[in-house]
Amino acid sequence: MGATDRKPGANKAGGLRLALAAACSVLGVAGAPAHATEVSTGALAYVEPGRVKVFELLADGTHEFTNGNLGNFRFVFDALTGASANGAVPSKKAQTFTSPSGGSGYVILPGETPLDMSFKDTRIAGSGGLTLPWGRLTKATFGAYTSFERDYTSLGVNGALSHDLFQRNTTITLRGSHFADSVRPMNGVPDPLTPMVAATPHGGGDDKSFASGGSASKGVTDLGVGLTQVVTRRTLLALNYTGTNVSGYQTDPYKILSVVDATTGAPMPGTATPELDLYEKRPEHRSKHVAAAELIQNLGRDILMLSYRWYDDDWGITSKTTEVSYRLNFQPDRYLQPNLRWYHQSAADFYRRYLVDGQALPDFASADYRLGEMDAVSLGLKYGTKLESGNDLTLRLEYYKQSGDHAPADAIGDLRTMDLFPTVDAWIANVGLTFGKQ
Amino acid sequence: MTVDVQRRPDGWLAAFTAMASPCEVLLDVDDRDEAASLGELAAAEAGRIEQRLSRYRDDNIIHTINHAAGRPVLVDDETAGLLDFADQCFRLSEGRFDVTSGVLRRVWRFDGSANVPSRAAVKELLPLVGWDKVTWARPSITLPVGMEIDLGGLGKEYAVDRAAQLVSMRTRAAVLVNFGGDLRALGSRRDGRPWRVGVESPVAAAAALDLELAQGALATSGDARRFLLKDGVRYPHILNPRTGWPVLDAPRSVTVLADACTEAGLLATLAMLHGRGARGFLADQGVKYWVLD
Repeated sequence: MGATDRKPGANKAGGLRLALAAACSVLGVAGAPAHATEVSTGALAYVEPGRVKVFELLADGTHEFTNGNLGNFRFVFDALTGASANGAVPSKKAQTFTSPSGGSGYVILPGETPLDMSFKDTRIAGSGGLTLPWGRLTKATFGAYTSFERDYTSLGVNGALSHDLFQRNTTITLRGSHFADSVRPMNGVPDPLTPMVAATPHGGGDDKSFASGGSASKGVTDLGVGLTQVVTRRTLLALNYTGTNVSGYQTDPYKILSVVDATTGAPMPGTATPELDLYEKRPEHRSKHVAAAELIQNLGRDILMLSYRWYDDDWGITSKTTEVSYRLNFQPDRYLQPNLRWYHQSAADFYRRYLVDGQALPDFASADYRLGEMDAVSLGLKYGTKLESGNDLTLRLEYYKQSGDHAPADAIGDLRTMDLFPTVDAWIANVGLTFGKQ
Repeated sequence: MTVDVQRRPDGWLAAFTAMASPCEVLLDVDDRDEAASLGELAAAEAGRIEQRLSRYRDDNIIHTINHAAGRPVLVDDETAGLLDFADQCFRLSEGRFDVTSGVLRRVWRFDGSANVPSRAAVKELLPLVGWDKVTWARPSITLPVGMEIDLGGLGKEYAVDRAAQLVSMRTRAAVLVNFGGDLRALGSRRDGRPWRVGVESPVAAAAALDLELAQGALATSGDARRFLLKDGVRYPHILNPRTGWPVLDAPRSVTVLADACTEAGLLATLAMLHGRGARGFLADQGVKYWVLD
């Protein structure tokens, strides 16, 4: 630690000042401290015209204890209503389906994408965590999560360790979490790849297709590692990898597949229902890998953010997300932030738009459009301002468009004239208010 | 510590004395009681830091460290943070800023007299100076026997930053903390105007600094009353820890504007240690500064 073995010139061109400023921030005297308690509230509306509507209320907050520990909580309430594609193909004739409750049916007009109109749920989710300094450069975080829906429950625990290196220019984080989820479909857990049951006025009750019982569960384990690096005084790079292992029931109990005639493409007649539709089936295991890179470049007044995310799983889905966002700080307390995101995913190996009569049943099959090949683009604009009260207000509007192969080349008969992958549009609007911030 | 609260055109002023300096906290609030309670908070913090860092007391961690007779001493988090900071400053300044240089005061008393010590007396103390001789491995510090540390050189500016932060955690109002001319402004005033800040010149003949400060900190190094004068040579109180002798060509005072008061104070002190090179040093750092020769 001798005075003379340091390389000279540390004080040239502001280098010493930067180092001193950094030392001041380590000492805790740089900048205004965060308020001891900070609470953010927000409301969000997600609307797919003609389909799903989600209204969400959110509150989260952090509290810094005098001993340096940091506590946080988050509370979310969602109300979902509207229609969601049930997986069946459109047909030249009207089709009849059984609603998820089993107590009634619904009719879809000729040529229309079969949408289950009875999609309605509310979700309440809460989580909390504690971050404890562990020595000067290490932090440990522990947390718990729970959410409840009418037919779905999730319970989770998580933990993380982060460690600062190289004069705090580098932070390494290790994360892990485990969730235990359970689903209790309204009409019991259907037997996969068996015909959809007919509507019975008093619910499914003792129907054979629901013989496998009232609930199913899965476990989700995540392990992740992250690296945040201060590249230059104005450039920050974050790299993250997460590996996820999901084990258990991952089938969507409300999704079905049409069985169509091999020549005409028309739905085959069923025995209990007018058309033959089978409940979908997905594998019980899924392992996912996500690698993401994010670059934040401070341009003096404005900030440019670029990110790329790569996803791959053993169901055969690979996706790539590229996002660019620019924060235009046009006034000291006001900004506009446009962002643009592109998304592409390949289809799951067992994705089938429909099943063909006379062909052997595959081991797994799903017509859920979320497992199909698709492209999505979203365009958003966020505005942030500080109110006279000192609170921060943000407004955001985003447009999202998702599209896939409307007319697959191998479509059969009538299906060649149908839209087999309708474009989904969505509008997202939200408003946020943060209290207790300087 | 008594806190005196007065109405000012730009808010309420809470005044008290700490660290042998007049201390002021200006608050952009309407309510007198709120101003008084925030002023008391700042005063208590100043008192706490003074108690903790003073080398004139025998009931604090500095005394324990300085009287450990070669044994390691475990220190609390705040002291450890300050020692880390001192360690950084020592390295960044290539040994010019050294919290072990206080022992040189045994022979250097800047009382305006002609009592310049002998070369031998200074040389005898030099083995007791040098942060590189200290074993600091957080949270344990070991000083060689006879050595001392003094964090007082950081104390006032650190207290300004801490008090400003503490007050701003309790109020949304803008605050200006001024401890004997070292000051920090935090938060924006409701009318959008900056604080009007006057910094008295250490030299009677020179004009006081008068500037506007909305956000940031100002610290001054230099005390024109502390010097020795012998054979026409003026020995200012700025000592070079590597030689044990004053920096003869140091400016009378240096004032620096930076984000935090601790940072401004360090830059001002280091500029003084650069002697005639003070201006060049400060220009290199890209900060706003005022130098008085």
